[in-house]
Amino acid sequence: MADLSVDFGKFTLKNPVMTASGTFGYGMEYAEFYDLSRLGAVVVKGIRSIPSHGNPTPRIAEVTGGMLNAIGLQGPGIDKFLHDDHYLPGLKKTGATVIVNMWGVTIEEYAEVAARLDAESDGITALEVNISCPNVKAGGAAFGTDLKLAHEVVSAVRNATKLPIITKLSPNVGNIADFARAVEDAGSDAVSLINTLSAMAIDINTRKPKIANKFAGFSGPAVKPVAVRMVYEVSRAVKIPVIGMGGISTGADAVEFLLAGADAVAVGTANFVDPFAPLKVIHFINEYLDKNGFKSVAELKNALIV
Amino acid sequence: MKAFIVSNEQLQNDYYRIRFDAREMAAKSGPGQFVHVRIDERNDNILRRPFSIHNAENGMITVVYKVVGTGTERLREKLPGDSCDLIGPVGVGFSSPEDDVIPVAVCGGYGAAATFMLTQRTKQPGVLLLGARSAADIILTKEYEERGFEVKIATDDGSLGHKGRVTELIDRLLAEKPGKKFFFYGCGPHPMLMALAKILKAKNLDGELSIDHFMCCGVGACFGCVVKIAAPETADGWVYKRSCVDGPVFKLADVYAE
Repeated sequence: MADLSVDFGKFTLKNPVMTASGTFGYGMEYAEFYDLSRLGAVVVKGIRSIPSHGNPTPRIAEVTGGMLNAIGLQGPGIDKFLHDDHYLPGLKKTGATVIVNMWGVTIEEYAEVAARLDAESDGITALEVNISCPNVKAGGAAFGTDLKLAHEVVSAVRNATKLPIITKLSPNVGNIADFARAVEDAGSDAVSLINTLSAMAIDINTRKPKIANKFAGFSGPAVKPVAVRMVYEVSRAVKIPVIGMGGISTGADAVEFLLAGADAVAVGTANFVDPFAPLKVIHFINEYLDKNGFKSVAELKNALIV
Repeated sequence: MKAFIVSNEQLQNDYYRIRFDAREMAAKSGPGQFVHVRIDERNDNILRRPFSIHNAENGMITVVYKVVGTGTERLREKLPGDSCDLIGPVGVGFSSPEDDVIPVAVCGGYGAAATFMLTQRTKQPGVLLLGARSAADIILTKEYEERGFEVKIATDDGSLGHKGRVTELIDRLLAEKPGKKFFFYGCGPHPMLMALAKILKAKNLDGELSIDHFMCCGVGACFGCVVKIAAPETADGWVYKRSCVDGPVFKLADVYAE
């Protein structure tokens, strides 16, 4: 059996398969399906300093090859997240490796949330800084599509916590590698990509956008080739580890990302279709490594033949 | 969980009834709960579809559906011996009626499927008030009558029963049965449910409504299917709750009718 562990420098994951933030709730929603400690990591839905309603409905639409969502980061706020059994305390009990996705509407709020998580970091392996949600007006993509702001917000988080930080990048930019370099320079320990692609769908009978927010994030199998290309570019632009995601539904999809240069992967929309998708991906990667004579998942990073 | 299809037959027009062999799931299922169905493994239409559990007897889950789009088209094509992947039973269902209470299901169209199992949970003979656009959309009335329910119908076009809204049948029911205790169970289109909520509250009647929204994960993870639920203690007076796991059935007192 090959070595599935992934070395992130400041921390290690038992295998390279995580869940993408926003597609796995706060973890507990999937605990009835399987043992969450089998995953490389559970990345929870974005947390900010106060509770937030999120966007009006409808928030979801199915499109060919995937789906649109504009949830708008509905969430319980950090106090409830840290102390209510439906959130972090419950998730910790499952033995899962926890990565907390966090955001704010100002740079100060990002720093505040990071500091709170730093102060109560027991059971938290890393933070994922969300600078790329396309569905909120302030915060999110406002920081992830401006090089200077991206650098500033990651610097602020860096100064607020000793926890490892992963920055989640937006694909809705001219050159994503520039953003990867900017956040690496600001002290990010890893990058994750891609967040959803900014998109729109219209109901021709009602003549209204299918999503109340009008614009929404596109995810699912159809976005995978875009994501693979971006992972390829980013992994060659930075020295820090890269977590690849975007349309991964099968183990074969995941191996594509690892060959493109990702150190680890995340399963997103596929969780909605098949709760067991991440486990199937882990099994496939293990088998792929054995069959093809690789001793570790890390060997795939440089195995692409071009 | 993989579940084999036992039968898949037309009820009338665009309405169909499908039976899944799902013994464990059926044993746990109650009125108002649903199954989240992955109809087949495709990469073009990827999402599961939620269907109210119409019945759960003899180790089978029965679903009544209307063909409305790509998912239900594909479900119609399924044959006995084919299978679908089911998650369920999901959600908070309807409570069982108290012994001295007459349960009244107020339904729009195939909403009548979701309240059917109440017929097995009541001591008092119940009532179904069923509304739809026209006679072609009135389904399951015989099944309700066979289980001892009295059925009253309203159609928009007057092609069957009262010409008008289903909620207009409530006054008539109250007049016919003076001094009786009722509990109302609502399932149907959102505007109908909001109207029902206002009427019941105005008349000081109690009940539960099944309220949902376009659903994605069906397990509480995505927050796509949220509905506004009254939260008087908050600044806005409401919060978004997930219709898949916090509902789809909510107490009338918690329904936030704008």
